[in-house]
This record gives sequence, structure tokens and C-alpha cells, in this order.
Amino acid sequence: MKIKEMLENIKKEFPYIGTEIQEEKQARIYVCNDKFLNILTYLRNEKFEHLANIFAIDWIDEKEFEINYNLWSYEYLVSIIVKVRIPRDKAKIPTALNIWDHAQIYEREVHEFFGIEFIGNPDLSPLFLHNWKDLPPMRKDFDTEAFSRKAFDVGEREGEK
Amino acid sequence: MIDRFTELKKIAQKDGHVLYNIFFGPNHPGMNGNFGYVLDMVGSQVVDVRLNAGQLHRGFEKLMEKRLWVQNFSLIPRVCVVDPDPNEVAYATTAEKLADIDIPKRAKYIRTITLEMSRMTSLLMGMGSVGGATGLYTIMYWMLSDRDYLLDMFEWLTGGRVYHIFNLIGGVRRDFPEGWIDKILELMDYFENKLKEYDHLLYNNPIIVKRLEGLAPITGDEAKKWGVTGPNLRATGVRSDIRIDYPYAAYNEVEVNIPIQEDAKGDALARAIQVRLEFEESINIIRKAIKQLPEGPVRVKIGNPLKLRIPKGEAYTKIESSKGEFGYYIVSDGGIKPYRVSVRGPSLPVGLFLCKRDLPKIRIEDVALWMNTYSICAPDFDR
Repeated sequence: MKIKEMLENIKKEFPYIGTEIQEEKQARIYVCNDKFLNILTYLRNEKFEHLANIFAIDWIDEKEFEINYNLWSYEYLVSIIVKVRIPRDKAKIPTALNIWDHAQIYEREVHEFFGIEFIGNPDLSPLFLHNWKDLPPMRKDFDTEAFSRKAFDVGEREGEK
Repeated sequence: MIDRFTELKKIAQKDGHVLYNIFFGPNHPGMNGNFGYVLDMVGSQVVDVRLNAGQLHRGFEKLMEKRLWVQNFSLIPRVCVVDPDPNEVAYATTAEKLADIDIPKRAKYIRTITLEMSRMTSLLMGMGSVGGATGLYTIMYWMLSDRDYLLDMFEWLTGGRVYHIFNLIGGVRRDFPEGWIDKILELMDYFENKLKEYDHLLYNNPIIVKRLEGLAPITGDEAKKWGVTGPNLRATGVRSDIRIDYPYAAYNEVEVNIPIQEDAKGDALARAIQVRLEFEESINIIRKAIKQLPEGPVRVKIGNPLKLRIPKGEAYTKIESSKGEFGYYIVSDGGIKPYRVSVRGPSLPVGLFLCKRDLPKIRIEDVALWMNTYSICAPDFDR
């Protein structure tokens, strides 16, 4: 099955999604927050069984976070990335734990680095950062330079204002 | 898991033993990398596991957003120490996809050959670590000394032994030096002869077979469901390889025969044998690629790399590394730096999540073997 037909089939089922083809074997699906679990469940049953990872993108100018679910089908040999946007000030999204078990660890990672809450995920405790009290560090408004000046007391170099 | 835990705890109390914690890593002889598990133990039986990650967290994804497109090449190999080339190629290929750069054919072949060499160094480390974890140090010393021959070849080609920083957007840094190809073919003959000795030493060794057989088995469906990829997935009998399914570099022209074991059980022994089969296949791929190697330039001109801008867009590239799927998702906003780089490491779902299912069933002495047969590499979870 060609990727174009595949997207058309998905679109028949879910007319409200947006699709975009990146290349022969890669496509993106854009979907809104309250419907994305239906799409993920549908794709999971349609042989898109491998969840490669979950990651977030901070679109600070548009005041939105984008959560990406990176899927791969062992049968059709096609990669689909499902993209969901949520507002930055209300960063909450339902968990995909019921569809893939290992979504748990990816959601925990995204929660730690972006501060996005996954409703229904039982364990979102910090994994990589120790005693972190600052803004979540992968957000675009987190200033790495100011942080290291404060944390490591490096002072200012000669000739630097 | 909880039932088993309480049951064992009861038994332990009856016997007068107590439940105790072991910090398995970051400073432990069985641990590979700067990572740790906190194991709850009863006697020598693991009953629960907690993660102690983040010892190697340097925020690469964030650092990449702060650096130029070309500067990132010095950062990314550090995401996986033993198998650094897949990172470089994944990053370069994604950037080339976004900028619509078609790299010369010879560069694709050179990438294929260096990727396979890097894969071989990592697979040798994988075979050696099984020996190290069982106390058969001869195996480990042999593999590491043989690995050095490959590192010498890398040094000759790229100037670096561990991190090569050899790929660029638009191709590779330089062509093969004179005499390099003859030497690598000689080395492949050496490895082919060595394989028989590896078999005698490692795979026909009753100690290894007894220790690995039946340890932490996984079925193909479970492996797909839990995000296990690469050689570990193939060890369960699933025929899947990114080099064939979603080709990159020159893999659409160089033939790859995926090695699959008949009646693969998916246990630690199957995973260890898979490593050896993959190693043999890498030798064949390098030979085929050198036979088909076309003439021509090794990179296209991209202008001043310090002012390089990649057009707006996003793309994902995945590479079959020696541990599984290594993927880079890159978002560009048209600037001189990437907007967002997301790394998909192959060890993360296994090392941080599958461990919760597998480790509580095994004994302390098998934890290191479990890690080594899954070829878990700590830097790619922390990044």
C-alpha cells in the first residue's frame, strides 16, 4: 500500500485530521488534543505497532507545545509521526500508557524536561535531573547561560561586560 | 511483581534474612557505563528494581539548539560511545533531507563502510562483555585487542580512534587514503578466520551456554510491543532490519542478508549468538561495498559552513546501529542553528523500562549478563 492511499484511508475514518507527506516512507498526522488517543489506538490496531519514542517541541512564539508520537509499521514499512498541540500555559495531555506500555518512560522524560503533565501516568517522578528546582530545562525560555552562572559561580571573564 | 515481592519478603523474614538494597552501578564491575540500578534483594534474588539514571546527563539536545549546524558534529558522537557513527550519519542525513542536498555516490559508500566498521567495533565489545560478565576474561581481552585493529583503521582514515567526526552535511570529510582499502580487506580476512576461534572460545563454551540459556526470554510480539529493536528483536525470530526496510547511505545498492536463527528462542543465548551472526554479515557487507565502490567526489560544496542555513522543515531519519534503532528527529526554523533535535536511543526502552519486567525474575549474577546481551549503552538514555 502506498503512503498516499494509507493516509486517505485514515482520513476517511477521521475526517478532522491534517496530513502531510515528508517522503516515500514518512508522513505526519496533525490532530487536536481531545481526539488523538482515538487515532493512536486506530493506528496501533492497523499494524503501526512500534512506538519509537515520544518527544515534545516547544513552539514558544505560538505559545504551544507539540507532542510527537513516532510510529513505525513492521508490515507496511512506513513511519508516521502523530503530532498533537497543546497550549503552553495549560500543559496537560492524556497518557498513551494504555496503548503502549513503554510510553510510560517516554512520558516521564518529557514531563521532566518540558513540564508537561500526562494525565493518568502513575509515575512522573524525576529521572535524570537531581534536585531540580528551576524551569524545566528543555523549554525555550530556560536560559542556559544564566543558569550556569548561578549554579557554578563562574563569574565574568576579563573584558566581558 | 508485588506478589512475588511480598512472598519473598515473608520467606526471608522466616529464614532470618532481611531485604537489602544493592547499588548496582555506577561504580560496579558488572555495569557498563555511568548508570545504576538500585536492586532490592533477598539473598541473591532480585525482587525489585529502581532506576538511578542521569549520571551522564549533559543535555545534548539542548546544547545542539545553541550551536551551529556543523558544530553539532563534535557533540553527537558522544551520544553513543562504542558505536558513534550512526549518530553522525543520522544527523547528517536528516539535515541533507531538509536542505535537499544529494550527496555523491562515493560518499554514500564511504558512509556505509564506516558505519559497518563502527558496528563491528561495537559488536566485538558486545561479545567481549559477555565473557567479562561470566569471568572468562580471555574472551574479553581477545575481543578488545581485535577491536583495536578496527580502531587503528579508523585512526588512519579519520584521525580519531573513538569519536571520528568524519561526516559532514553534504558528504564525508575525506576520501580513503592510499593503501587503506587493501588493508581493510586484509583485516576482513583476518576476522573471518578469527570467527572459528570465537566460536570455540565463546559460543561452544559450556559455561557460557549454561549461563545464558533460558535467561530472560522474550517473544517477538512482546519485543515489538515493548520497543525492542535491532539485533535484539531479530534474536526473537522477527525479520526486520532498517537497512532493508528504510534504506539510507548506500544500503539500497549493497545487498544485506539479515541473519536469522532457526527456532530462535529470544533468550540471552539467542541474543549473544545474534551478535556473532551480525558480525559475520558486517564483514560481507564491507566486502561487497568495497567491490562496488564508485569513483568520484566525496562531498558537495555547501558554501561557508559557519553561515550554513537549513531550510524550514522537519524530518526523521533512523539508522540500524549495533544496538537497534538510532533515530534523529530534527526541526529547523530556517536559521543557522537547529530549532529542536530529538534523539531516539535504542537502549532507553530496554534499559529503563523492560528492566522492570525482567530483572525481578533473575539473580544478581545474571544482571550484568542481562545488560550485556541486550547491549545496553548508558549514554543514550541520558544524552
